[in-house]
This record gives sequence, structure tokens and C-alpha cells, in this order.
Amino acid sequence: MKPLNYALLKHFTTVPEACAADVMEVLRAEYSEFKAFKKDSIIAALMTAEANGLLEETRFDLDKNNELRVYYRAHEEGAATINHYIK
Amino acid sequence: MSGVAASADFAAITAKAKLSTAFRKKGILIALASGLLYGFYTAFMTLAMSKGAYVDWYGANTAGLSAFAVTYLVGALGAATTDTCSAIFALSIASARGRMGDFFRTIKTRPGHVMIVAAIFGGPIASTAYVIGLQKAGSIVVPISALCPAIGAILGQFIFKQALNARMLLGIAICFAASVMIAWSSLTGEAPEGMAIGILFGFIAAIGWGFEGCVCGYGTSMIDYEIGITIRQVTSGLSNLIILVPIFTLMSGDGISAFDMVTQSFANGESIIWFIVAGGCAYLTFMFWYRGTGMCGAALGMSCNGTFSFWGPFCCWIILGVVFGQEGWEMPPIAWLAAVVMIIGIFIIAMNPLDLLKKKELQPHETA
Repeated sequence: MKPLNYALLKHFTTVPEACAADVMEVLRAEYSEFKAFKKDSIIAALMTAEANGLLEETRFDLDKNNELRVYYRAHEEGAATINHYIK
Repeated sequence: MSGVAASADFAAITAKAKLSTAFRKKGILIALASGLLYGFYTAFMTLAMSKGAYVDWYGANTAGLSAFAVTYLVGALGAATTDTCSAIFALSIASARGRMGDFFRTIKTRPGHVMIVAAIFGGPIASTAYVIGLQKAGSIVVPISALCPAIGAILGQFIFKQALNARMLLGIAICFAASVMIAWSSLTGEAPEGMAIGILFGFIAAIGWGFEGCVCGYGTSMIDYEIGITIRQVTSGLSNLIILVPIFTLMSGDGISAFDMVTQSFANGESIIWFIVAGGCAYLTFMFWYRGTGMCGAALGMSCNGTFSFWGPFCCWIILGVVFGQEGWEMPPIAWLAAVVMIIGIFIIAMNPLDLLKKKELQPHETA
């Protein structure tokens, strides 16, 4: 089992793009018991990864509950870095 | 329908702008808080080292410690006691917040190993170099060590391709100038013997902290910051206590027992209470440093943290001078002026001042 943040980043190397809700849905089965498995924490982790160039924003919109969804992707260099450090 | 779509788009753009602005503001505030807490950490550690067994070691010295032991061993012991208290805080908080499982999983991984190496650079190596530099060259080492934001930012650009333009370099230079102003008042007098070697150690400290801030700030983009700081404090506490203190004990050649020295530092009720407070501040300042640098990038995050060169003397004045009545901690007027200069430097790193003028020019069109 990987640390939560590793699993979060690794997911982006397997999909074209994803938002926080998408990632949480995928990781829910394995990580839902983690205290850090909260939407705010996940969003902060994604924004920190973006600030450090691991991920880049692709688009944003509002979901059916009028909540903001920001989508990110791991560009080629970001994906290479993630795969280099996280096995 | 197009009106509804446009309204939804506008709401999304507004929400996104609000989220980005809030994240950036939070990052800057956290990074600035790290500088302030570094001041309290310094003040409480200094306070602890003026009580208990330290009174004798630095004063009458009935234990018969050599000059080397008083300078290096006692200094390292104070840092080791603070860092160990801080590591206990970090482990307790990580445990209470359900991070221990990920802590053990993370330290086995490559980013975890990198974090440990960076913590050794910033903990025992940089801190010890700083102490030696101060002993050899005096307070000129303070502005030299305050080069760490510049070094961290430059390393961040080369290692992690983080943006660093001419404006940010100007801001870093202004912050450094402010640090020089703070140290200026104590730069008078003849150069002490060993000035060159002291300055060299000051550079080693700056490189160590610059490397640590840059690498560990980036590391929090992969490692949860609460886990990152637990790795840092445990590494620093253990390496100081188990490696550095025994090495200095052997080097002192006094035949003293490292175990006895450590026991006296931890078991004295007068000083340990302040070491615990200092350890709490150390936990917070380094956690905020890592988190703020992760959120803002190396240049801005480390420059905000660089305000420690003002908060250090300021908190020592408040805690040691005003609250505990110790003499010699007053702040010279130039330090207050330097604080303003530092704020200007950070502001220039954070944003282009010309953008404010542009926004003002745009306002009439926006309202029209």
C-alpha cells in the first residue's frame, strides 16, 4: 500500500485528467479510513503539486451542486518525475 | 440558454479565482508565520540555555569543561534537546492525526530518503556550521546565513525548474540587504581571529538551509507536509543527540560523559520546560517552512521565511528582554527600518508592483 499522497499523484500518470472528486472516487475503497482522506486536503495536495510543476491545470467547471471542479493532468515531465520518485 | 451558460461560466471563473487567491494568500501567511515562529523558537531555546545546568556550563563552569566543549558541545546539546522535544511533538501530533501509518510507509521510499538527507543538511550540518561560524566570525554570519532564501531559490530553478525571473532576484537581493542592515550595528570593531573560516562556515549554513528548504519544500508536493515535518524533526533530533553530541564530547577530550551531559540537559526542571516550549515552536516553524515553501515555490516561500532575521532579534527582545528582564536584547532602530525593507522585498518577489497600477487603469473599463 502506498502513502495516500503517492497514490494520489500516481493516479494522474494513468489518466488523461482528473479532479479531486474523481481521485477520491478511485481511492475510496483503499483510503477512506485515512483521516487525511478529506476533499479539502486532497484539493490542497493537488494545488501544491501544481505549484511545484508536477501537475498542470487543464480546465474547470461547476458540478451539478454548483461546486467548483478543477481538472489537472500530469504533463510528460511531471509524469516522469512522479514515476521516477514513486514506484 | 446561452445566458444560463454564461452565468455558470462566470460563477465558475469567480469560484476558481477565489480558490487560487485563497491558496496563494494562505501559502504566504504560512510561510511568514514560519519566520515569526523561528523567532520564538530561537528565543525560548536561548532562554532554556540560560537556566538549569547551562548556568554553570556557561558561567562558573564547576564541571571543568574546556573552551571547545563550552562553545560547541553545550551549543549542540541545547540544539539536540530542543530538536528531540520537537520530534516528540511531531510524532505525537502525527499519531493523533492518523499519519503514523503513512510516516512508516514514506520513510522507506525514495522521496522519504531524500527528505532524510535534506534534514541532515539542514539540521546537524547547517545548524552546527552556523554555531561555529558565529563563534569564529561573530554576527556577520547572520546575513551570510540569510543568503539561504537566495540559494534555495536558485537551487529550486536548477533542480526543479521553478520560475525565477529578474524581479524575483531583485526582491531576494532586497531581503538580503535587509538582513545585512539588521546585523550592521554589530559589525563594528576589529575582525576577530578566524574571520575567514567563520564566514566559510556561514556559507555552509546558508547552503545547508537553502538546500533543505528547496528540497523539502518541493518534497511536500509528494509527501504530506505533516509526515514530512515528522521525518525532519525525528532525523534532526536523533542525529543531533546520538551522533553530534557524542562526537563533540569525544573531540573535547575532557573525559566527560555524553550520557551525563544529556541527562543533565533533559532532567533539569528549570530548563526543560523552556526546551519543551522551544520544541513546540521548532515543530511549527519548520512545518510552516516546508508547507509554505511547497505552496508558494522556493523563491517566495523561503524569502517569507527569511524574515526570521528580523523576528529572531525581535522575539529575543520581547521574551528575554521585556518578559524575563535580561539585559542586552534591545532592538536597534535600524532593525525596524530593515523590517520595512524586508517587507518590500517579499512584496516584490510575490507580485509585480506594476500590476497594481494596471488594475487601477482597468477599473473604469470594467465598471463601464
